[in-house]
Amino acid sequence: MSKRYRVLTQLMMAVGLCLSPYQSLAADKFDVMAIANDLDHPWSLQELPNHPLNFLVTERSGGFKLISELGFVDEIPLPLPDLFVSGQGGLFEVSLAPDFNETREAFFSYACGNIEANSTCVARAELTPTRPMKVTELRKIFVAQPLRKGAAHYGGRLAWLPDQTLLLTLGDGFDYREEAQNLSNHLGKVVRMTRTGEAAPGNPFPHQAGGYIYSYGHRNSQGIVYDSTTESVWQHEHGPRGGDELNQLHAGKNYGWPMTSYGIDYTGAMVTPYQELPGVVAPIYQWTPSLAPSDMALYNAEMFSEWRGALLITQLAGKRLQVLQQRQQAWQVVHQLTLADEQRLRAVTVASDGAIYLLTDSAAGQLLRLSR
Amino acid sequence: MTRVVIAFVSAMLAAAVVGSIIQTQLNLSALVELSVAVSFQTRISTIIHDLLHFSPLFGAIVSAVMLIALPLAYAIAKGLKHEERWWFIGAGFIGMLVCFWLVNSLVPMPTLIAATRSWPGLLAMSMTGALAGWVFGRLWHPTPKELQEPVI
Repeated sequence: MSKRYRVLTQLMMAVGLCLSPYQSLAADKFDVMAIANDLDHPWSLQELPNHPLNFLVTERSGGFKLISELGFVDEIPLPLPDLFVSGQGGLFEVSLAPDFNETREAFFSYACGNIEANSTCVARAELTPTRPMKVTELRKIFVAQPLRKGAAHYGGRLAWLPDQTLLLTLGDGFDYREEAQNLSNHLGKVVRMTRTGEAAPGNPFPHQAGGYIYSYGHRNSQGIVYDSTTESVWQHEHGPRGGDELNQLHAGKNYGWPMTSYGIDYTGAMVTPYQELPGVVAPIYQWTPSLAPSDMALYNAEMFSEWRGALLITQLAGKRLQVLQQRQQAWQVVHQLTLADEQRLRAVTVASDGAIYLLTDSAAGQLLRLSR
Repeated sequence: MTRVVIAFVSAMLAAAVVGSIIQTQLNLSALVELSVAVSFQTRISTIIHDLLHFSPLFGAIVSAVMLIALPLAYAIAKGLKHEERWWFIGAGFIGMLVCFWLVNSLVPMPTLIAATRSWPGLLAMSMTGALAGWVFGRLWHPTPKELQEPVI
């Protein structure tokens, strides 16, 4: 039995064995297929708009790959300035400009610096239109301030707003959790910038931290999407032990960390005795115990028509894909899917064919296609 | 043998309880600095929560440290014919300092116990090792003067 066929069989069996208190996904309704294997801790995937079902994939170790529908993998050299690969740090997301077909602009978030002084950076580049694809005009356009020690809690997800400004999620650096409430820096914030890396006009705190801050009080956010139907920004973040949150972001609002949390510290100690406080926006959904949400996509296609408007959320520790829908003003998990070998899931996107594509998180990570 | 076991267990309990209360106060003071009001009742309930959920882990850490530090201190004190109590105190303090450094270099997060992120917090939490050393010495080998002290 070939490795590819064996993986496919295992995955299809796993769909049927889905352990869930929610509605299970029937195996005969779904196909799960491995498109590519042996990816080194892949972190994000993005479909090329002018080449349907061809995906750009980043790897935390700095790899940047173009993967075709048939699983052919092209390495794209990406000499990011000052890339720092350690712990949770490395190359994070690739996000294409909304007008990518004209401008060929791509944006990369990544950890930059060294173990003593590092941060989350954004670089802008252009991708050549012909194969083999190349990266040109690569330039660092943003460095979250201040630089900090350690290699944890970088955030790193990117999302475009309709005005073509870019949102970047930023973590609290783990050891600096109180700084998530300090508006003079970027730790534990979501920042909004122009495509040249300047603070976007209209940000709520124009005179603090360079004017970049969009929202604050975040722990480590690795999921953000803009929903054009409801004109909402949905964002999720890791809690400590318990207290992962799904939030609806509003400019200028405080999301509480570490003053409020539904979780406690890994040691069992309380981070805060408060789950909610006046002036703090409460999450619209929270996970306790933690599942470690790692990415999010909005489903607006036909293949899974019952999921239109739903949020697809991948989980690392939870090792599943969850489908959250808003029902009677409350968000609920309506489906969840666990794959073979209970793999950690790192990223999710919805492709032009309506299928759902997933990245698993391991040193031998996979690109998977979920369809029916 | 019974005496040394009772001394050791008592020392570990004392360190776990005191260490838990210290780290609770450090965590709450960080919130107060963010202008979060913490009432006396909330402070007490947080102390109780952490005694139930944090102190077992901390007690295990202190025990692991002292199982190495105390015999080492005893051997050195005996070899040098020094007052062993001070060696127990010093070994507990240094043992905890080394332990925090070692644990933080092994676990995925930069600092396991949030209260040890700052130097004052690190030193305060390391003092629980010194306390454990003192309690152990006091109970295992009390001085003649200490033996004459009333129990209550």
